[in-house]
Amino acid sequence: MAMVLYIGLLHRLLLACLVSSGLAFSADPPERPENLSCVALQVDKRISNNVTCSWDTRKRGTLIETKTSLFFSSGSDEEKEKEIKDADKHRGTVTLSIFPHHMNAKVWVVSENKLGKVKSDVLETEADRFAKTNPPFNVVAISEKQFPESLLINWSQPIKNVYVKLIYQIRYCKHGSQTWSEIPLEDTAREIQSFRLQYLRPYTLYITQVRCKMYREGFGYWSDWSRNATKMTPEDKPKSKPDLWRTINNTEGRNRKTMHILCKDPELSNGRIRIFKVKMQSLPWTEVVVNRTGSQDLAVDLRQIQDPRGIIFVEVIACNSVGQSPKASLKIPRNQHQFPPVNKLMWKSDKGQLLIEWQTPNVSAGGSPPKHNLTEYVVQWVSGKDGKMDWQRENRSTLKTFIRGDLENFIYYNISVYPIYSDWIGQPVTIPAYLEQGAPSHPPSIKVEYLGSNNAKLVWTDIPQEKQTGFIVNYTLYYFTLNERDVQAITLPANTYSYHLKTLSSNTTYLTKVKSSTIKGSATSPEHMFITAKYAPGEVKGIVVGACLGFLFLLLGITILCFYKWQSIESKWWPTIPNPENSRIGTWTPDFHLKNEPPKENTLVDVSVVEVDMLDGKSVFEEDRAGLPLKKDKYLSEEHSSGIGDSSCMSSPRQSVSDSSHSSDEGGDLGETAAGAVQYSSVVASQGYKGQNPNAAAHGQQPQQQQQQTTPSFRRSESTQPLLECEDGGDTPGSSGQSRLLSPGSGYRSKALDHGSARCAEGGPPGPGEQGSAVLLRFWPGDPACQQSGAQDAAESPEFLEAVPASHCMTKLVGYRPQ
Amino acid sequence: MIGHMYFPLLLQPTKSFPSALLSLLLVMAVHSSRTVSLSRSQNCGTPLQQSLKLTRLIHKESVELIRTYKASQGALSELFCKSSSSEVPQPKISGLEPSERLLSVSSVLRSFLPHLRRVLEQQTDLQSPSSRLLTELSNVRNRSASLASVIGRLYQDLFPNLPAPEPPAGGPTQMPPPQNIFQQKVYGCVVLRRFKDFLLNVARELRTLKSRVCRTPPANTLLF
Repeated sequence: MAMVLYIGLLHRLLLACLVSSGLAFSADPPERPENLSCVALQVDKRISNNVTCSWDTRKRGTLIETKTSLFFSSGSDEEKEKEIKDADKHRGTVTLSIFPHHMNAKVWVVSENKLGKVKSDVLETEADRFAKTNPPFNVVAISEKQFPESLLINWSQPIKNVYVKLIYQIRYCKHGSQTWSEIPLEDTAREIQSFRLQYLRPYTLYITQVRCKMYREGFGYWSDWSRNATKMTPEDKPKSKPDLWRTINNTEGRNRKTMHILCKDPELSNGRIRIFKVKMQSLPWTEVVVNRTGSQDLAVDLRQIQDPRGIIFVEVIACNSVGQSPKASLKIPRNQHQFPPVNKLMWKSDKGQLLIEWQTPNVSAGGSPPKHNLTEYVVQWVSGKDGKMDWQRENRSTLKTFIRGDLENFIYYNISVYPIYSDWIGQPVTIPAYLEQGAPSHPPSIKVEYLGSNNAKLVWTDIPQEKQTGFIVNYTLYYFTLNERDVQAITLPANTYSYHLKTLSSNTTYLTKVKSSTIKGSATSPEHMFITAKYAPGEVKGIVVGACLGFLFLLLGITILCFYKWQSIESKWWPTIPNPENSRIGTWTPDFHLKNEPPKENTLVDVSVVEVDMLDGKSVFEEDRAGLPLKKDKYLSEEHSSGIGDSSCMSSPRQSVSDSSHSSDEGGDLGETAAGAVQYSSVVASQGYKGQNPNAAAHGQQPQQQQQQTTPSFRRSESTQPLLECEDGGDTPGSSGQSRLLSPGSGYRSKALDHGSARCAEGGPPGPGEQGSAVLLRFWPGDPACQQSGAQDAAESPEFLEAVPASHCMTKLVGYRPQ
Repeated sequence: MIGHMYFPLLLQPTKSFPSALLSLLLVMAVHSSRTVSLSRSQNCGTPLQQSLKLTRLIHKESVELIRTYKASQGALSELFCKSSSSEVPQPKISGLEPSERLLSVSSVLRSFLPHLRRVLEQQTDLQSPSSRLLTELSNVRNRSASLASVIGRLYQDLFPNLPAPEPPAGGPTQMPPPQNIFQQKVYGCVVLRRFKDFLLNVARELRTLKSRVCRTPPANTLLF
């Protein structure tokens, strides 16, 4: 006995240790089962004898082994006990000999462990309360043609009344609808097996279900819903007007408009609409046969009107196999502005639907005709994705409505609200809307439109509307250098598609990107790289243009300078050489009396001597630069007189014969010089010529005199110097004869003038040597064409041909040599 | 309670004829209304309706059981089911008063239970274990036992001052001697048929009792 007490004490101490070691909650007595309930399902045609009961316990568990027992007592089974071995399993099934219909039953649960024993409340009730029958079967719906708004529902009870008396519940809905309509229990809570559904819509497919339960209130469980009984109600004539509307499309460009008269079936079509009867303006009624295979809400395009003008009246009647609907009419005004629009149209997405709100039109301000009252609204929406349009009608008291169409998320819709004034279409108000906005699906593409040395203009393309998944709230432009990666961000309004960066560094690589944002997210474009220019495009152009302008101005200055200083330049670089053709040779005939004129005061004192070497081609300018001062000195002396009669021109760049010694001194052979060059006489204009007469000069020039004798009309000095025009014939006695001689010699060329130009001076009387020259030689200074010209001249002047040999150039030399 | 008050009056000796006549009329009136008064004082109809429903259920099952029994006994079942047997209780309900009749119901019902058990035992030997007849027989027998307990409880509820129903007088129910198979078949069929008739009589008796006890039933009770 003492041993037993010791073991018991030890056991209690062990339990106390468990409690004190922090496992107190795990070592409590068993929890009291609560909320005990039982159910017995129907098997075959009876309620099963397996009764399953469940109960709740608190969440705390226990580490101590707990025995839970389920007890069931009824009239036939005195006490059935079921031991639940799994302590966490709060349910158990008791198998009875038979389900105790119409008898009381007692159910309770006992939990027991070493720390105690707990019994739940006894659930004492009629056993039928636990019965859950199968749903009614053979549920069928029957339509009767004479009752288009009714369906008869029949079913079979799942179990006989002797076991369980049942009540029923019926629910139904339209096909495709998610909302069930239940028949009030007062109408079906009876022992019935059929029921007639009333006030249904004709020609509509309905789904019906039935369930049952023990008849006593609060007893038993509702069975599951039966299988669907689907049936369409019979057809009836349309009870409402068809939904008539119009839409206008731009076709073949913006100038062509097509109005489509659209019509939906009446809301209470009560059957399949087979024909629409249409009447436009005052035309007779026409029929449009409807061949529809898809949705019933699909609008039928009744008429197309090209370029609608004026007021349009349309009337439509819908017909099915039973009858026809009331008439719908639509009046399209010429100008919608006389029917005022709604105010403050707004939208918002609400629980997956698009809610549209507006305010009534301001009729007084709009000046609506008083005879047209606001009757209804038409809410129209057009998809930005595919342009699909749909509409719905609202009554005049409606100021907010959900769009009843199948709108898609992330798709742009244009929502329009049209007020309808006694069938007249009022002015619409349109707003864009999204059922659900999302982040942009496509980023914008950015590029550089203008690139300077320290600025750049960036341009990005707007995301196409069909690819927009929400309203762009702003653009954010990022740019940074390749090395620093110091990102600069600029937030720009949603309607901005370009930006001019102005504080860039020249010759620097930049990366840029743009982010388009909606309220739900953003999309960023790929990085775009650009390098700023080293010089701005204007700078290079400025330099080039400046240089060109400078050059042009320089040229202009030179030109102006040349223009204003032409005389001096010409006199300096291109001394005027009188045209020999225009010179008149004095006809020095033997009986010619030279009139000694007194020297003029302004007679050329300073004589320039131009020496032209015909053969070596040296420029006269170069020689003149070196030898002009010297020659001037020489020419100023009378020793260098060429002895040309009255000509004072110095056309020859060479010195006169008298100066030949000087030429020979320069290394040139006289013979060679004479053979290769035409030596012109040096003309010395001095007072020394005064008083000269041709006769005196002829004394020293015998060979020429002989020739002169053969051609007495061309007597002149021995000089081959061509006579210059400025040798004023009027001043000399021989001027008349010279003029006659030179008239055919119009072949004088300016080229010859250039080479043989000499300053013209008023000459005095020719020198003795000149007077001895009987032959006038024409001047062809080294021109290869001289022979031809000479031949031509000769042909033109036979007289000259006689006097001048075939090679008159050589003749000149020959004729000059004795000098 | 009223009955309790006037029972002593019934036991008092009559002193004069008028007073005795008045007392007799009073006792008769009280006695005739005693049952009703008791029923109304209790939860009217619940035990009685349970008994009635259960009786109908067993009757329905017995009808099915007889059909099943005949189907399982062969072609001559219709013939031998018409025969009678003296060992099987009669389905009659005796007594004049409701208490007596209800007591008779309980007594006869209890006397049928051994016969039903005997038939089940005999058919268990004759039928396969999965036979539907055995199941139905078992169900009828079990429900009959339940009905006996329900009737006893009802009797106690309706007549709490009367002694509780006791086992049939004369000891245990007299059972038939050992029988051959045919006799077993005949015996079983007679038992089931009589039991069905008895249930029909019980249902009628309970309905009569119900009409007495619950003259003004609640609306919800009428509905169902």
